[in-house]
Amino acid sequence: MDFDYSETQRDLSEKVKGVFDTDSEASFAKLESGDDDVIRIEVSKYLKTLGQVGYLTLGLENGKDTVGLVAAQESLATISPSLFLSVEVNARIFGRLIAVYGTADQKRKFLPGLKKGRVIGAVALSEGGMNIENNPLHTAGVPFDDGFLVTGEKNYVVNASIADWIAIAGKVKENIVFFLIKKGSEGLSIGQRLSTLGYNGTAISAISLENCPALSKYVIGPFEGEEPLKTIRTWENQILTAGSLGLMHRCYTTSLSYAKNHKSGNKPIIAYQEVGFKLAEMLTLLQTAQLLAYRAAWMAETKDRETSVVAYCAKVFCAESAEEIASQALQILGGHGYIGRNPAEEGYRNAKYLQIAGTSTDISRMKIADGVLQMD
Amino acid sequence: MNFSFTEEQLMFKEQVMRFATKEIVPRVQEHELKGEFDFQSFRKLGEFGILGLHFSEELGGSNADVVTSVLVGEALGEAGIDGGLTLAYGAHTFLCADTIFAHGTDTQRKKYIPKLASGEWIGCMGLTEPGAGSDVASLATKAEKRGDKYVLNGNKMFITNGPVSDVAVIYAKTGKDLKHAGISAFIVEKGAAGFSTGKNLIKMGVRSSHTSELIFEDCEIPEENLIGQEGAGFIMAMQTVEWDRSALLAPFIGGMTYVLKKCARFAKERYQFGRPIGEFQAIKHKLADMKIFIEAARSLCYRIAWCKDQGRPLNHLEAAVAKLFIGDWSLKPANDAMVLHGGYGYCHEYEVERYFRDSRLAPIGGGTSEIEKKIICKLI
Repeated sequence: MDFDYSETQRDLSEKVKGVFDTDSEASFAKLESGDDDVIRIEVSKYLKTLGQVGYLTLGLENGKDTVGLVAAQESLATISPSLFLSVEVNARIFGRLIAVYGTADQKRKFLPGLKKGRVIGAVALSEGGMNIENNPLHTAGVPFDDGFLVTGEKNYVVNASIADWIAIAGKVKENIVFFLIKKGSEGLSIGQRLSTLGYNGTAISAISLENCPALSKYVIGPFEGEEPLKTIRTWENQILTAGSLGLMHRCYTTSLSYAKNHKSGNKPIIAYQEVGFKLAEMLTLLQTAQLLAYRAAWMAETKDRETSVVAYCAKVFCAESAEEIASQALQILGGHGYIGRNPAEEGYRNAKYLQIAGTSTDISRMKIADGVLQMD
Repeated sequence: MNFSFTEEQLMFKEQVMRFATKEIVPRVQEHELKGEFDFQSFRKLGEFGILGLHFSEELGGSNADVVTSVLVGEALGEAGIDGGLTLAYGAHTFLCADTIFAHGTDTQRKKYIPKLASGEWIGCMGLTEPGAGSDVASLATKAEKRGDKYVLNGNKMFITNGPVSDVAVIYAKTGKDLKHAGISAFIVEKGAAGFSTGKNLIKMGVRSSHTSELIFEDCEIPEENLIGQEGAGFIMAMQTVEWDRSALLAPFIGGMTYVLKKCARFAKERYQFGRPIGEFQAIKHKLADMKIFIEAARSLCYRIAWCKDQGRPLNHLEAAVAKLFIGDWSLKPANDAMVLHGGYGYCHEYEVERYFRDSRLAPIGGGTSEIEKKIICKLI
């Protein structure tokens, strides 16, 4: 056992924090208000600096230093939730998809740029609803020339409007494949950025494809069975779990500092049990969530048969605790927290995404229970 | 970070579970129902080596690390031992014996530890009083030095193992006007003149452990029964709190695993509307919530144990966080387990109602949830 971060892990978290300075807030505001070009410029800027400190290479190899990955992710998610989501989808979903399932040529083409932050990627999974568990994919490719013509509709695609490349999950006959489609390709249209409750600085949109060509060399797969989709879901869940930690951290530290500095009746409000005890509960949830998330990550490096059940436990617990902590933070901050662009109100809005994206907390509970029912 | 146990630790856990399942669990229901202390099981825990696990070998222990001790606590709960017996074990080993082991003189250690480790003697610890609970500095029990003796006067309240103990570690004020710095710890043996115990208190849960008042009326004890220095008692009490908030919590987590397995079995065997109730989403949610609690709670416990093994003293914040979480957040899943069993769950035979009653102690004993919040507040 060892409950401490290693020096390398601590070092990387510090480097991630070092990427940001006092001007960064202005950039984060632009992510929310800017058009696609502005968002692309801002995300690219940070991808390059995050690439320099080694953030983008983490997790490209499945099951290696998973704890270090979470530690770094927690740092970034604490600083900017929206940038975090955008960067993670790029590095840990699009990047990993190529690193784990791609051909040697695809790796050579994409990975160097991804590690340096020069390419932005997106992965399109969902179709009608966010839930891909119970719905077969309708997007499909038909052979054409040296490749396929892809047709289908995808929804809730993070980074779609700023991506250089989009990996489209679809089918060729009965098999699952991923078509790597370059931006501007014929037949690819990207919808308006969706107006969302939270993560307002992340570009999320629907896309549609009509006879959109994908060359064979840019196709990952075919795969028999659903394994790659399930694996991508676990990556997504891992990102959302780490994102929850960042959200909680951000809300907790904001409320703690407010409670220490804001006075009422001549004493800091933390001196009132109504406020102080809330902070105690928030810290308890935060620390419990951290330990669970780190243990779930660590288990991914082991062959434990409960790895997947514990990962779902972490996802549910962290995502729901995030909403609870954000809610408590709003209560402590009062009017200050209710004003826009405050970590408390933003955290409260973002928290719901963590519960419905990836494997929703409801479906996660079903999967946990399936594991429990096999216990004896 | 690394959350693994050693092969050796895991093998020992298996051994403990096998032993407990065979030797102790069959006796649990009967004693719990009658509210009787199970002397035979207690002695068996001693013979197996559990009561003195972390003490040195020459004193009858096995030199185990703290993580292993906590793992054993979890194993006892997971095997299906009731909260009463595990509490009796916790109070005996960690609150009483460990204080003598950690702070006593060689003579004291040689005299008490081997017999406590074997279970021949049963130990208890007296800190709480009728008028002083969480506010330790307000202790009213006095110890006055007279010649080569100390004379104790006062009452201790809610003392686990009180009525059955042979050895008591008692906290009393030696410095009249001092607050924390006036608290000292003493060893009082059963039969000391002026020492008596009140009647066994009837409790909601942990009923196979006996709890009573301890009464000291001009109770004379030899001066060599002082543990450590005069005035050092508060620090000792604080160190036991760490055990209170790790090793004593582990059986609750193990117990939840035991109960969860029972729930899983019940959910598969119980048919309603033509299918096992385990297929209904509402039932599955309850199973999932119990599992989530267990996984969330475990690392909290082992973090304290690990810190202690690293020689990091008094992890107040970590201990308070663990105690608060396990205390408050265990109530819903404990309730879920009972509800899942329907009418059966309300009956003694199905054991979940026992767990429900036992687990209600978690947010009360060893520092209430409110006190944990107070501690956390002070430290942030």
